[in-house]
Amino acid sequence: MTDSGLPTSEHLEHLDTDTIADLIENLLPAPEAHRAREHVKACPDCQQTFDALVQLSEDLAEEGRNDIPMPADVAEHLDAVIVSESVLRSSTVGVHSLVQIREEPRRHLPKLLGAAAAVVVIAAIGVGVVFATKDDAPGGAAGINPTNVPTGVPTLTTKDVGPQAQRWLESSSNPLLHGSAAEIACARTFASSRPNPQLRLVQPAKVNGQRATVIGLQGESARDVQLFVVTGCNESGGVADPFYDTTVTLRNR
Amino acid sequence: MTSDVSRIGTAEPIAQPVQHAGPVSYDQMDDHELLRLHVAGNPDTFGFLVRRHRDRMWAVAIRTLGEPEEAADALQEAFISAFRRADSFRGDAKVTTWLHRIVVNACLDRIRRRQVRATDPLPEDEDRAAELAGPAEEDPAEVRERRLDVLNALKQINEDQRSALVLVDMEGYSIEEAAAILDCAPGTVKSRCARGRAKLLPLLRHWQTTRGGSDDSGVPEKTAAEAVGTE
Repeated sequence: MTDSGLPTSEHLEHLDTDTIADLIENLLPAPEAHRAREHVKACPDCQQTFDALVQLSEDLAEEGRNDIPMPADVAEHLDAVIVSESVLRSSTVGVHSLVQIREEPRRHLPKLLGAAAAVVVIAAIGVGVVFATKDDAPGGAAGINPTNVPTGVPTLTTKDVGPQAQRWLESSSNPLLHGSAAEIACARTFASSRPNPQLRLVQPAKVNGQRATVIGLQGESARDVQLFVVTGCNESGGVADPFYDTTVTLRNR
Repeated sequence: MTSDVSRIGTAEPIAQPVQHAGPVSYDQMDDHELLRLHVAGNPDTFGFLVRRHRDRMWAVAIRTLGEPEEAADALQEAFISAFRRADSFRGDAKVTTWLHRIVVNACLDRIRRRQVRATDPLPEDEDRAAELAGPAEEDPAEVRERRLDVLNALKQINEDQRSALVLVDMEGYSIEEAAAILDCAPGTVKSRCARGRAKLLPLLRHWQTTRGGSDDSGVPEKTAAEAVGTE
């Protein structure tokens, strides 16, 4: 503090900037404030500093109202983080690896236990052991019960399907099975009719404006996933009818 | 986002965007709607919310932290936290106010952790300066220059003064709100602001002299007596 920085004769020596700034914020004790104010009134230099400090606050406020464009690389990374967080959330009530549960028990266990109150099926898919909560558990709250609004239905075009599915798949080393039990069952039936029946992805989506299901099957190489966009799986007793397919190669596996 | 209208009460069916034919235009939804759909399980709407407000939040983070890497990390933490805590959002507030507060807290957390670690000075990062000012095609040169001047000047004052100044002068929080956020007494906030301004003044003086104000001295009409008021 430079509270004692007031000159003995306020008309001869200038106030320092700290003292003037304190004066503006009413931080000086009354006698000092009075002397400082008298000085500022009489001293053009200090009056100018005073005015400049007041102006500075206004300038900062004006600048503060302006946004600053986020750099493209930061924005891109942030997008990816939000997407994977989204995938993680939807898979919390769907399929989860034991590794994830072990690593982040605080985050997953409460929801898992809640959703799994009905039936917990332990299934071995490929080499990974996964927990699958039966997704037609009754009485789940909205957002928890996957049959209501489980993971949402992203709107895509066929052009987006590959890149989008690739991002989902790259964010998890486990199968991502979303949608109602009936929809997943329909996807399984479709998969079983294929030469490569191992399911990697089931995701309800609106593709080119129509309700569809994106189904991912393990490709020939471990990093390849063959994607099909099918209609019919969201109707009860429906049969998958593919209208688009593509193959993506995952980068992180 | 001053046109925000609280529509949290006029509940439309959550699954509406799912069941409607035709693509959903999230762009046309207000913040409350996007957040509500996110809480209900929609996987896309939070991303929209982030994209809508990221430049605002980036401004807060980069001004408070000074370092782009730190700011990016703080924002990531903040948005993940907001993502997970969205159900605790109270519908009577503005979504931006809520987000803003989470971002500010994430930034302050980083500052506190950094202060505990050591007082390593912020590295000068000239290479990123131009990038920090934003894409050249987006803003006029003087806007970008001014932005950089402020960012550089802010980096040169201490972190306590900087966070107080950013909150009070730049983000418009009241002294009391800032004191609550910073977890200190209102008098401390005032003092940090005053000393921060005193330090910034010589760093930004050219700003004021080149403003080309209406009067020749460039000083406002406000006098000491008017501003300080009566005793």
